[in-house]
Amino acid sequence: MSWELHNVAIIGGGMMGRSIATKVAQEGLNVCLKEISAEAVEASRAELEKSLDHAIARYDLTNSEKKAILSRIRWVTQFDCAADCDIAIETVQEDFGVKRRILRELDRRMVEDHPIVINTSTLSITELAAQNSCPERIVGMHFLYPVTTTRVVEVVRGQLTTDEVYNRAVEFGRILGKVPIKVFEMPGFVTTRVIMPLINEAMHTVMEGVAEAAEVDLAIKLGFNFTMGPLEWADRTGLDRVLNWMKHLHSESGEPRFRPCPMLKRLVRAGLHGAKTGQGFFTYDANRRRIDRLPDDKPRLA
Amino acid sequence: MKILVLNSGSSSVKFQVIDTDLERMKAHQDNTLATGLVEKIGLSDSRLVLKVPDRKAYTDYREILEHRAAIEWVLRILSDPEVGILDEVTDVGAVGHRVVHGGEAFASSVLITPEVIQQIEECSVLAPLHNPPNLRGYYAAHAALPDVPHIAVFDTAYHQTMPPHAFLYGIPFQLYTKHALRRYGFHGTSHRYVAFRGSQILGWERQEHKLITVHLGNGCSTAAIDHGKSIDTSMGFTPLEGLLMGTRTGDMDPAVVPWLMAMEEMTLHQVNTMMNKHSGLYGISGVSSDMRELVEARAGGHQRADVAFRMFCYRVKKYIGSYAAAMGGVDAVFFTGGIGENSPEVREWALSGLEYMGIEIDRQINDGLHGGEGEISTDDSRVKVLVVPTNEELIIARDVVRVLNGIMPTWEPPETVTP
Repeated sequence: MSWELHNVAIIGGGMMGRSIATKVAQEGLNVCLKEISAEAVEASRAELEKSLDHAIARYDLTNSEKKAILSRIRWVTQFDCAADCDIAIETVQEDFGVKRRILRELDRRMVEDHPIVINTSTLSITELAAQNSCPERIVGMHFLYPVTTTRVVEVVRGQLTTDEVYNRAVEFGRILGKVPIKVFEMPGFVTTRVIMPLINEAMHTVMEGVAEAAEVDLAIKLGFNFTMGPLEWADRTGLDRVLNWMKHLHSESGEPRFRPCPMLKRLVRAGLHGAKTGQGFFTYDANRRRIDRLPDDKPRLA
Repeated sequence: MKILVLNSGSSSVKFQVIDTDLERMKAHQDNTLATGLVEKIGLSDSRLVLKVPDRKAYTDYREILEHRAAIEWVLRILSDPEVGILDEVTDVGAVGHRVVHGGEAFASSVLITPEVIQQIEECSVLAPLHNPPNLRGYYAAHAALPDVPHIAVFDTAYHQTMPPHAFLYGIPFQLYTKHALRRYGFHGTSHRYVAFRGSQILGWERQEHKLITVHLGNGCSTAAIDHGKSIDTSMGFTPLEGLLMGTRTGDMDPAVVPWLMAMEEMTLHQVNTMMNKHSGLYGISGVSSDMRELVEARAGGHQRADVAFRMFCYRVKKYIGSYAAAMGGVDAVFFTGGIGENSPEVREWALSGLEYMGIEIDRQINDGLHGGEGEISTDDSRVKVLVVPTNEELIIARDVVRVLNGIMPTWEPPETVTP
């Protein structure tokens, strides 16, 4: 049966849902974005507009592109919109029970062979799918934030995912201008699994007093041509989320390299979650600009 | 023969139906039967507008998700017994497609064959935003009209006569041979039409004169046409080079790019968007990319609008001077495009102080000319200055006839450079 991609359902208007919605709309597809209530819709819409304005100020976007993007996104509070969609993506919190419930709602409404995408960096696609009447149409896609600019998406095959559904997810990734990395289901896939020990090791290096956090970060940033160091990356991602991922990777794999650094736990317990709270390993202003850069950490030409 | 002319963008298709053939061309009796467009392709409220001379414009809305549905809609409306102009869809004898980039492969218009499609696809790396939708329009039209010839007319073809000393960049030669990285120029069909039509108005043989054509629209470019051949044009590898435009920088020291990327920590995408969409008249004035609004704003004392206006005109003047130098003189300057046709202010400013070159404007005539053809130079002016509304669709339709009759001229590059 032929499958054409025009309409995309996104469940959850949080940071990830908005970022995916923006990218999908930017590529000319129509989005229906589901939130839980009218208030949540308003909050999500306001945040999305704010991020579009920020993108305009950074020359990533123009005013007319903003208009076009907003015109392609329809906010809803019910799951019914999924019935007309060619693919659906859930982007709710990394919680097995919540995701499972959403998959059921989507499964009941969507055309039989239209893919349902789980956006997760750590949960098991197979286990989530197994609870479903049509597990073979469930596939994982791990988008990296911000979805509008990162060039990669991990496409995750569950045990029961059909080739057809899997290939549609790969094609969807390509339509979004991303390089799809084909991965089999294992905790953390490629990106999270490889980056977490690096972050953890950076934290241990600080904790052991080898160097100050800012110097550890700068060494890695300049030494390996990263756009930012691992600690700033963790701050910007949210230390609470980083801790959750690490705990999950640790419990799933049992590997000590994923055991969260005590320093990370301490910061999270203290409510210092990184850029969004103004303080993590480093200090940020209300616009999430880092305000404690070292004098050597400055732009230069060559 | 009724020819369908298509200009397919990423979310729009512009179309015209032109009735012409060799006899009509000779007698200048090409007849435009209808013009129109489908816009907002991919959305639920796509709009079709059809304009037929002496009739009220027809507008309709429906969900059109891709080009094929758009072209089918156009053909259905064109052959509609009430609003259409064709008895049947099969009345369309041929289709002419505007294709932005023909690279070095195409120095003239061609019949579209599988090999030509292959070559156009290869040119997509040079025009990633334009060639793919042009091709999508072709595929859609070919599916709807499989039995008629389809002809491609390239924006770059006319400038293929530029000599290497004009089309090369001063970068290592290997980069030219490896990537075909060179200046191509755009708006070729418009410059070609304007050179033809302007000469016709003056009763000149194009091959005997030195012309400067100035296309000032959303995008702006100017060309030096020496005895019928484009020997230089202001746009280059992409449509970013040259004149200041609505939202594009035009000429700029390329060192600005790495500097901004380093010091402002801008990404490639950001710097690209900044130069193409946030710059030019809009970026300087902060008011608008629309010349009419700028002219109003500067009349109201808006300083940045005023400097944007001056920058715009100054660049046009510099190019006119340089092209006169390149050709060893100039016999006529032809203005076209939305701004060129409608802004007496821009024409006056751009040509001011060029009396020493023999360019003299009749201010009264110039001020009175908004749209429409006309001569704006004084009777004594050594250089003739004309306003010539462009008509790319006519050139495309005529090229269809030329290709089908085997009389399409080509513009081969005058000399080759061996590595």
